[in-house]
Amino acid sequence: MKVLVVTSGVPFIRGGAEILAENLCQALSSAGHAAELIFIPFKHYPPSRIPDHILACRLLDLTESCGVRIDRMIGLKFPAYLIPHPNKAIWLLHQHRTAYELWDHPIAEDLIHYPDGPVVREAIRQADRELIPEAKTVYAQCRNVADRLRRFCGITVESLYSPPADASLFHSGSSGDYFFFPSRVTGVKRQLLVIEALARCQERTMVRFAGEADSPRELAACVEAIRQLKVEDRVEWLGWISEEQKRELYANCLGVVFPPADEDYGYITLEAMLSSKPVITCSDSGGPLEFVVDRQTGLVADPTPESLARALDTLWAGRRGAVAMGQAGRARYADLKISWDNVVEKLLC
Amino acid sequence: MPKNHGLRILIATVRVPFVNGGAEIHAEGLCRALREAGHRAEIIAIPFKWYPPERIVDHILACRLLDLSETVGVAVDRLIGLKFPAYLIPHPRKVIWLLHQHRQAYDLWQHPLNDLNRYPNGDDVRAAIHRADCELIPQARRVFANSRNVAGRLERFCGLLATPLYHPPRDAALFHSRPAEDFLYFPSRINPLKRQDLVLEALPKTRLPVKICFSGSAEEAAVENKCMALMRKHGCADRVQWLGPVSEEKKRDLYARSLGVLFPPIDEDYGYVTLEAMLAQKPVITCADSGGPLEFVIEHQTGIVAEPTPEALAAAMDNLWEDRERARRWGEAGRQRYDDLGIDWSHVVEKLLA
Repeated sequence: MKVLVVTSGVPFIRGGAEILAENLCQALSSAGHAAELIFIPFKHYPPSRIPDHILACRLLDLTESCGVRIDRMIGLKFPAYLIPHPNKAIWLLHQHRTAYELWDHPIAEDLIHYPDGPVVREAIRQADRELIPEAKTVYAQCRNVADRLRRFCGITVESLYSPPADASLFHSGSSGDYFFFPSRVTGVKRQLLVIEALARCQERTMVRFAGEADSPRELAACVEAIRQLKVEDRVEWLGWISEEQKRELYANCLGVVFPPADEDYGYITLEAMLSSKPVITCSDSGGPLEFVVDRQTGLVADPTPESLARALDTLWAGRRGAVAMGQAGRARYADLKISWDNVVEKLLC
Repeated sequence: MPKNHGLRILIATVRVPFVNGGAEIHAEGLCRALREAGHRAEIIAIPFKWYPPERIVDHILACRLLDLSETVGVAVDRLIGLKFPAYLIPHPRKVIWLLHQHRQAYDLWQHPLNDLNRYPNGDDVRAAIHRADCELIPQARRVFANSRNVAGRLERFCGLLATPLYHPPRDAALFHSRPAEDFLYFPSRINPLKRQDLVLEALPKTRLPVKICFSGSAEEAAVENKCMALMRKHGCADRVQWLGPVSEEKKRDLYARSLGVLFPPIDEDYGYVTLEAMLAQKPVITCADSGGPLEFVIEHQTGIVAEPTPEALAAAMDNLWEDRERARRWGEAGRQRYDDLGIDWSHVVEKLLA
């Protein structure tokens, strides 16, 4: 089959969605299909630019190329998944979140501040409600994203999980004296919450943070909190690390901390499970809650420093229990049958 | 730090899914050159479909609706537009380096292979394309063209001036030369615009036992079949090698060992083949209506410019075949001319960012 994977994004910015799009193309090629990636640039401000980009996507024609039919289009991100195609599958990574659940969210809100914000929000919702059902097949990348689509747009779809990049390279080593928290350093990932929790722990818990900061301001906020709460000797701040280093740090940690605010999906949970490590997440963390079974493969805390501190203490003091939870997480990953073969089969059927 | 260091630059072009041609090589070459010069560069490739004609207008509008002025609050310092309609994307600091306009609305309008003029709305769409180009191209701060030929068309049809700006073929440094063997080489996509058929009509008209090696992939089987039928008809299959697609390395080897290069397309925009032949120190046979190659081939100094007829092409082939020493000298003069033209990426980057 000739398959086009279609996504949108911001030039010069590369994140999980871009990597996922490339991995999907790769998986399609490996399965014997001709697959190419189409990237439509997207700028979401001022709000009037959003309807412009919706319209631009609606004007594109990907039905055929030089007279040869394109058998399937797979749309991933807003607004590229709105491009028309008679044989379209949507694998929804996420909708335009500030028009939905992040509309008035203190960490991420944006649209709400503009005079035309409410009108544009309505236009986005209308486009999604009316045009997403044009696709023959619609999956969401996880249940969390599927739930939002049902809640806001009244459209019911199944979730379809994908494995993290290089899933086969994750492994398990010893159970070391540190928790690992790999993520971009930014408000919604809540590194600050973990720093505050550290200060409230009974045990001398340790956390190694890895990942680049989205902005110098966010980095400065973390550094300042570490200093003020006097937890300098219980924090290691690694910044950018290689994929190989990352896998080593996973392999040898006591457990993984991943307490984001309403994450769509979250490869970190899956990478921790592949490394046989328990995961501490929060009850409002979204995607991770689809995978972490409380007290069996990790701990689900309330999003407060106190509750998170108790979870850290629990694993730190009960190391054997932590190892057992990690192994249960690995078994759960295997049970979920998360594979690219499955993704390709579902998206092409 | 030098002026203009570390700019954030987007290259706007179009792509036709599942077709990879010279335009992609061009955008990638530019992107690499900008990065090597210390800039952050990325290619934005908008999909393009030109039929039925109203889709062209849709795609113009889609491009006009995109906003590449900044990303997350940080300015995009330069937009470099290459192909229609992507070069119409608005930007306050835009430079156009025109690869070509939508030729079916211009120089190919009357061409038998054109399909735009066969649609009932073809005239209207052609007018819309002209208007978009005439009004919107001047929004760019500067306009360069891929070649003098492309600049000439822009002036003739739109009354707009552009500066020709040449760039090297891919992997220019890897081309080399070896003593001539007994064949002329014609590397190109197998396509009516490249005129493999004209060369096959010329071959039986040569006086000398000229041999030709063709390489390149065929986009449509029908075109390749027509060439095969011509060979059979003229009984010259034993003087033709038909290789199909070859690797870049194999292509350079064939250039190096050839006696000379055949490249007689119809009004080519630019034409890497001419430049590659010059890099390999080989004389080039082209035609008086071939466009781009005529900016490089100097008659009886670096090659031969023939009339686009089988007879004239046959005479040109005989000419190279019978005097190999002269062919060798013309080839060397071609290489000298390439060097004199100063075609390199750092020059291109300097001009585009000036």
